[in-house]
Amino acid sequence: MTLAIKDLTHQYNAQEKPLYEHINMSFEPKTLYSIVGQSGSGKTTLLSFLAGLDTPSEGTITLDGENISKYGLTKYRNQKVAIIFQSYNLLNYMTAAQNVSSALSMTKSKHTGDKDYIYATLEKLGINRTLADKNVQQLSGGQQQRVAIARALAVDAKIVIADEPTGNLDEENTQEVIKIFQELAHEVGKTVILVTHEPNVAQAADVQISLKNRQFTIVE
Amino acid sequence: MDFIKRAGLYLRQKIGRTALITLVMSAIMIFVLAGIIIQSAAIQATNSAKNSAGTTVTLSADREKAFASMRKSQSSSSSSSSSSSNAAPAAITMPSVKIKTAEKIAALSNVAGYQYSNSASVNASGFSAVTTSSSSGGGGQGGFGGSSNSGDITISGVSTTAAETNFKSKSYKITSGRGITAADKNTNNVVIESELATSNSLKVGSTIKVKTTDDDAKTYTLNVVGIYKAKTSSSSQGGPNMSDPSNTIYTSYTFAGTVNGDTTSVTSVVYTLTDSSKEKAFTKQAKKLISSSFSLTSSSETYALLMKPMKNVQSFANKIVWIVGIAGTIILALITVLMIRERRHEIGVLMALGESKFKIVLQLFSELFAVLVLSLVIAGVAGNFVGSAVGKQLVSQQTTATQSTSTGAGFGGGGGQQSGGGGGSAPSGAGRSGQTSMTASGSQVSNLKTKISAKSMAELGGLGLGIIAIAVVAGSTPIFRLKPKKILSNE
Repeated sequence: MTLAIKDLTHQYNAQEKPLYEHINMSFEPKTLYSIVGQSGSGKTTLLSFLAGLDTPSEGTITLDGENISKYGLTKYRNQKVAIIFQSYNLLNYMTAAQNVSSALSMTKSKHTGDKDYIYATLEKLGINRTLADKNVQQLSGGQQQRVAIARALAVDAKIVIADEPTGNLDEENTQEVIKIFQELAHEVGKTVILVTHEPNVAQAADVQISLKNRQFTIVE
Repeated sequence: MDFIKRAGLYLRQKIGRTALITLVMSAIMIFVLAGIIIQSAAIQATNSAKNSAGTTVTLSADREKAFASMRKSQSSSSSSSSSSSNAAPAAITMPSVKIKTAEKIAALSNVAGYQYSNSASVNASGFSAVTTSSSSGGGGQGGFGGSSNSGDITISGVSTTAAETNFKSKSYKITSGRGITAADKNTNNVVIESELATSNSLKVGSTIKVKTTDDDAKTYTLNVVGIYKAKTSSSSQGGPNMSDPSNTIYTSYTFAGTVNGDTTSVTSVVYTLTDSSKEKAFTKQAKKLISSSFSLTSSSETYALLMKPMKNVQSFANKIVWIVGIAGTIILALITVLMIRERRHEIGVLMALGESKFKIVLQLFSELFAVLVLSLVIAGVAGNFVGSAVGKQLVSQQTTATQSTSTGAGFGGGGGQQSGGGGGSAPSGAGRSGQTSMTASGSQVSNLKTKISAKSMAELGGLGLGIIAIAVVAGSTPIFRLKPKKILSNE
């Protein structure tokens, strides 16, 4: 399942310079990608296009050659992509387990209602049963981030897009999360794209992409 | 987890907010329900009063024609007389209804039953009439009620007391013995008022004597078969020239005819129709059987006046429903819109996770629907109390206004009419019963039975559904117009 950007150009308004110009890139399955760049360079905006959260000024995002806008952005987000937000974006009236369960239900995953699976997925991210049954507002920032990661990992989406997924994690947990992303890509076969400021996270990826001067370059 | 479960989790987690909106919704529902049930009760009371009373048509002498005839004869006698100042004023002759004519009319189709009314005036003999400070003991002096032929006791002759208006409306009630029935025809059986009985130590089984008021006073012995209690005050029976109601003795119409010296006629006949809608047809047919000296008066005009309070209550209740409904819709919709706007971030997250807008709307709707169900239960419990209290207050205000209007009208209409023949003045039975029926049905008007029905709850539920649907659409549409990124980045 190849995700591709074709001739992407985007500017916030006509008076400003474009954020990117005529970008072409593809993202292959079984690969972990990291995107790095200065603040304000448009990394998160790019992720939002790839995740179907927004549409660019010009150009298309395609999945296996089909324009995701034509596919239906809601359907695309529901079935094809799992998103990990920088600010977690958990549903604050639910517990950690309920957040994961909700995502499974929304995407009509084969694991819908499977409590063992839910708790196991959370356990992988260091969220034990006790924490899993707590309202997310009672969890620390790092714990909430891990719940957000678990929510994305639990669903069947072939593409995982993560915006600063380790921003609030300590070194140990960061390493755990990197390992999980690598497993997802190499063993499960997903396309994993993450934006990060952390060099060690960026370097753990199979492909590092640098966003600079309105262009994307692959870092060797 | 589907949207319903999400809705349940939200309501449980945000219990304070849920309680607040439940309170607001319940308050609105209570008043709308109160309006609906008052409206429904008023409609029911109107229909019930109409159905139970039925349409009646009264056959009696045409007073206007009688007065016109009197004025005519007065003017012709004053022109022929050389000393007009010495001429006595002409007497008003009110013709009586022949029983044979009455029976012919009764045989017409659509007549459920008929009641004769015949009146006479006699003097008590061997017992005393009840006197009040406003009563001169006779029929009054001068004016409509007064005449030198008036006695201190009024004989009200009827077919049966049960069909007589005062007894039907329960203003008068038999407290001892029985009332007058068809079997009392051609007898001297009487029913006397309790004050008259008490003041003269009379009871069921006693006999009393009365004398006619003409020069050849005849004495009749009457058998007391029943005692009744008159609930209405004397002032409601007419003007100061009318005797106290305690001095009214009920007998068979035949005895009143005997006293009047005419057993073939009665003062008036009241026909009860089986089908109100055929009243005009009946009146048309009956008019062919009577002369122009008589008139047929329908009760529907009276009922229109009596039902006016109910119509006013109905109209007011309708206004409550509309005003509270509209205001409530606006208030609830605004509150809900604001609450949904506050959940903008959550909506953005759900959209970002790939949830369809339709299911997000269904979640919001489900939450409000649960609140609506709870509010309906609360409204169902409290609505009847509020409706009953407000309804009673409304009816009380309306009834007071109508009774002051009807008492004035009744007084004018209740003046005595004089019939020819022996026995003296005979107050119009129809006029008296007309007054009493106004008062009687006034008591019907005061009984507004509010109750919650499945229909009223369904109406209320429908209104509630409409409110929450509008609120959800109005609140969520502006958010759905945005892309998820915009929603989330603005937060």
